[in-house]
Amino acid sequence: MADTDRGENLNRSSGEGTELERQGEEHLRMVVEDAGIGTWEVNLLTGAISCSAATARLFGVACEALATYEDVLALLHPEDRQSTAKAMKRCIEEYGDSEFDYRVLRPDGTVCWLRQRSQVHSDNANVPMRMRSVILDISKQKKVEDEFKTREEHLHSILAIVPDAMIVIDDRGIIKSFSVAANRLFGFAASEAVGQNVSMLMPEPDRSRHDSYIARYCDTGEAHVIGVGRVVTGRRQDGSTFPMHLSLVETHSGEGRHFTGFVRDLTERQETQAKLQKLQSELAHMSRLTAMGEMASTLAHELNQPLAAVGNFLNGCRQLLEGSRDPVTSKVQDALGMAAEQIVRAGQIIRHLRDFVARGETEKRIERVAHLIEEASALALVGAREQGIKIHFAVDPGVNNVVADKVQVQQVLINLLLNAIDAMQHSTRRELTLFVAPAKDNMVAFSVSDTGTGVPDDIAPRLFEPFMTTKLQGMGVGLSISRTIVESHGGRIWAEPNEGGGSIFHFTLQAAPESRTDAG
Amino acid sequence: MPANPLISIIDDDESVRKSLAFRLEAAGYRVATYESAMAFLDALPPIGDGCVVTDIRMPQMDGMELLRRIKSSGRNLQVVVMTGHGDISLAVEAMKLGASDFIEKPFDDETLLTMIRAALNNAEASSQRQGIALEIVELIASLTTREREVLDGLVAGQPNKIIGRNLDISPRTVEIYRANVMKKMRATSLSELVRIAIKAGLS
Repeated sequence: MADTDRGENLNRSSGEGTELERQGEEHLRMVVEDAGIGTWEVNLLTGAISCSAATARLFGVACEALATYEDVLALLHPEDRQSTAKAMKRCIEEYGDSEFDYRVLRPDGTVCWLRQRSQVHSDNANVPMRMRSVILDISKQKKVEDEFKTREEHLHSILAIVPDAMIVIDDRGIIKSFSVAANRLFGFAASEAVGQNVSMLMPEPDRSRHDSYIARYCDTGEAHVIGVGRVVTGRRQDGSTFPMHLSLVETHSGEGRHFTGFVRDLTERQETQAKLQKLQSELAHMSRLTAMGEMASTLAHELNQPLAAVGNFLNGCRQLLEGSRDPVTSKVQDALGMAAEQIVRAGQIIRHLRDFVARGETEKRIERVAHLIEEASALALVGAREQGIKIHFAVDPGVNNVVADKVQVQQVLINLLLNAIDAMQHSTRRELTLFVAPAKDNMVAFSVSDTGTGVPDDIAPRLFEPFMTTKLQGMGVGLSISRTIVESHGGRIWAEPNEGGGSIFHFTLQAAPESRTDAG
Repeated sequence: MPANPLISIIDDDESVRKSLAFRLEAAGYRVATYESAMAFLDALPPIGDGCVVTDIRMPQMDGMELLRRIKSSGRNLQVVVMTGHGDISLAVEAMKLGASDFIEKPFDDETLLTMIRAALNNAEASSQRQGIALEIVELIASLTTREREVLDGLVAGQPNKIIGRNLDISPRTVEIYRANVMKKMRATSLSELVRIAIKAGLS
C-alpha cells in the first residue's frame, strides 16, 4: 500500500496489523501531519525515499520532487549539506538513533530550520535497511536562540569594555564569574579566580569575615551593601590594596541565590579629588593672600604716617635730652632711641610685607644663619628661661649663609618659637630645640622642636591654612603667613610629631652660594 | 650758610607735619609747615633759601608737580621727597626731576638728618655728593657684568621676573645676584640701593 510505503508509521514496520490497527495508525498519521511534523523514510538499499505531505511542505517542494536521498541533500542549505550528510551517514553506520538540525533552502528562496530525528532499522542479519526520520520546523526556536545568543554576546562585549569589574558569587562566596575588567583590576585571571572564595579579593579584616557577612545576610536578610553600594578596600593579587566602590545585586535563579558585584576602582578618582582639594586650598590661600595684600597695602599707607610721627617725636625728645648729666635722663634717652629703632623695624616689616604681597617678591639678601637665629631668638625667647624652658641651639657647622629676606624669615622663626613656647605652657617637661642643618638640593633646614601638647589630629592637615588656630587668643594667620613666606623663598614648611610628645616644625631655605665678597 | 636756615615741611597728614617740625626744631632748625603744596606756593617768599621736605602723594597738587613748579621757577631750593608707600619708581622719577633725595616713612633718624644737612647747604651738598659719587662709582665697578645688569634692571624699576626674562635667567638666580649687589653696594634696602645708584649717575 502506498501509505505504508511512504512510511507514516512511526513505531512499527508496515504491512501488518488488523483493520482496527490500520485505522488507528491512519488517525495518528493525520494528527502528526496536522501538527506539521514531517516524516520520511529512505530505503538504504535503493536510496528511494518516501515522504509525507508535511515533509514535502517543510522542504517547500511537491512530494514527487523528493524521490531520492540525493534530492533531499540537494535541498539542504549549502553550508549545512556536508555536515548533515555526514551526520546521517554516521547514524546509519552506527545503527544510531540521532538528532540533528539543518537548514533547508527552499526553491522559493526562503530558509527554514529543521530538526530531524532519525532511527535506522536493520534486518535480522543486522544489515541496515531503512532510515526513518521525523522532522520539525524549529525556525522560531532558532530565531529566539539566535536572539538570545546575540544578546548574550552583546552583554558579554559590554561587560568586557565597561570599566566596572563584574564578579558573580554564589551564596557560599564562591566566585562563579570573573569579568575581563575584574582580571585587569585584581590581577587574577578568570581561571584563577573562578571557584575560589571571593574573600581573596579583600584585605583583612573583611577577608576572614566575609563568609559570616553572607551567612548573616542569608539568615537575617539585613543588607549592608546590597542595593546600597559602598566604598570598600580591595586587594590585588600582588597584595596591594586600593579604594573601590562596590555595588551588589542579588539574583535568584534555578541554581539558587547569586550575588553580582560591580566594582569600580576609585584610586584615580581619589587622587583627582585630592589634587582638586589641594588646588582649591591653594586658591583659597591665594585669594586670602590677595585680600591680605590689599589689607597690607592699605595698612602700610595708614600705619606709616603715625609710625613716622611717633618716630619723629621720639627722636626729637631724645635730642632735647642730650647733654643732660642726670643718669635717669640718660636712661630715658637710651630708651627713646631704642623705641625709635623699633619704629624703623615696624616700618620695615610693613614695607617687606607689602612688597611681598604686591609683587610676590621679597628683598632677599645673603644672610648669616647664626645671625638670623640670634636676632630672632632674642626677640622670641624673652622670659622663656624664666618659664623653666630649656633652650638648646644646634647649628650644623656645615651651615653658613642662606638667601633670605631677613625680616620675613625672622618672622617665621619668631612665630615657630612662640608657638613652641605656647604649646609647652602646661607641660612638665619643657624643652625647646632649634636645629639647623644642610638639606638636599642645596637647602638649609631649620627645625623647631618642642615637648608640648602636639598638634591635634583634626587640625594637622589644615595646619598651614589661614585662620586655623588652637589658641584662644590666636588669629590663626601665623603659620599661614609663615608658609607663604617660606614658599616665596623657594622653601617648604611642614610639621611632624615629636617622638617624645610635642611637635617639630621644619622649614627650608636656599643655601647661599659661595660669594666672592663673603670675606668683606 | 645762613645761621638759622628755614625748612618748609609739606604734608597733608597733620601728625607727620607736626612731629617732623618737632623733630627738626629739636635739632635746632627753623621750620614752617604747610598742609598742601598750594599753601606752600602761596606763602613762598620771592627770595630766600633753605629746603623743602614734601610728601609725594597729596590731594590736589602732588609732590611731583610741586617739584616741577619749584624747578621751573628757577629758585635754588633743595627738595627732599617723602614717601609713605615705598614707591621706588615714583621716587626715582622725583630724583630725575631734580629732587635732592628721597626718604621713606617712617624715617631712619640719622638718614633724615644727613639728608636735611646736605640739602640745606647746596655747595656742601654737591661736594659731598661728589665724594659719595666717587665712592659709589668704585663700588659699582666692583660688580660683575651680570650683577651690573641686574642693578640696571632694578634701577629701571623692573621686578625680578622681568629682569630674569630679559637676561634669560631664573627669578631665583636674579634674587641671588640681587643679594650680592646689595651686599657689594652696602645698601640695606632696595630704595637705598636705587638712591645710591641714581646718585652715581646711573639711571
